[in-house]
Amino acid sequence: MSFKHLFMKSSFVKAPIQNGIGRYVGQLQRITVKFCKEHSDSKGVRDFIENQVVDFAKQNPGIVVYLKPRRHRAPHVKLEYLNGETEILSAKCLSERELRQWLEVARGSSGEPVARLRKMQHTDRPSIQGVWTPWTNVPPQTNLETFPSEEGYRAPQREQTATEKLRELFARQQEQKQLTEETTGTS
Amino acid sequence: MSSMQRAKQWATFARIWHIYDAKWQNPFDSSKTIAKYLKGQHKPIYHPLSDCGDHVVVINCRDIALPGPEWYQRVFFHHTGYPKGGATWTLAWELHEKNPTKIMERAVHRAVGGTLLRKGLMARLHLFPDEHVSEDLLRHVTSQIPQLRVQPRRLDSYSEEEVRDFPKVFDYPADHVIR
Repeated sequence: MSFKHLFMKSSFVKAPIQNGIGRYVGQLQRITVKFCKEHSDSKGVRDFIENQVVDFAKQNPGIVVYLKPRRHRAPHVKLEYLNGETEILSAKCLSERELRQWLEVARGSSGEPVARLRKMQHTDRPSIQGVWTPWTNVPPQTNLETFPSEEGYRAPQREQTATEKLRELFARQQEQKQLTEETTGTS
Repeated sequence: MSSMQRAKQWATFARIWHIYDAKWQNPFDSSKTIAKYLKGQHKPIYHPLSDCGDHVVVINCRDIALPGPEWYQRVFFHHTGYPKGGATWTLAWELHEKNPTKIMERAVHRAVGGTLLRKGLMARLHLFPDEHVSEDLLRHVTSQIPQLRVQPRRLDSYSEEEVRDFPKVFDYPADHVIR
């Protein structure tokens, strides 16, 4: 999601108290439709009321539907959710179909204000094996060490030093010498 | 957040103390490693926005080894801030004589990067010229950073027996005069 919204808050993915695990509680509790009986702005709302509102109320027994005619006012729908949030949906010049679709959106909504999601995933169990700590995978003998340790943390000598090379050379030479002495001594 | 989760969070972000022996080490190479530990970049949970750096105690700063001719070629600049000649340029060997931990400090100061976090990170660096560290710092230390370079052995560290048994490559003639 973009970061360019000045007034949009950010949040993480969440569901209202484990909703949907075991049972589902619809979060939309009440809709109040205000419309005008005469003006053409309310045409779509009037059509919705005429054709669909009874079915909508029957299909969603958890949602209370109020209808309030208001003379010469722009039509709108007030959506009230279980968490106390309210939302005003302007229905001005909406068609019947569009209004129905917006109500479907509201029906599935948790009522939380629209926010930029900081992460697209969430888990209550971040790790099965346990989250990392500074003491994870540390060899247990570290507990018995006293710091600073003199020898244990020196850089390893990877190549043979000149001293070692010389010693090896000398040892080989001595061996050779001994061998020749033995052979000459026996023969 | 349950108390268990809170305790896990504390454990994950616990600050631990490392010790580093700077004996015979190049301060400019070491500072990169030390900066990594100060910033917490050695941790799998590292994130630039989370404050997850550790403390580092550096001992034996007096015994650092500068590479090549740097003792008499590397220059440290300082400006008092006052106009008209507030600037001084000090050679590394001079600076080291004045303050044996200063070269290490400047190296790490540079390595942690010029961000607003620098002051806080430098506050978690503890430098000592020799191996004497006060007990109240040392009791926190639970980890040691391995050295980067092999420590050479000096002749005085060999026993007399070892020196005597060492194979002689050549011998001076009897009439040789060592001046």
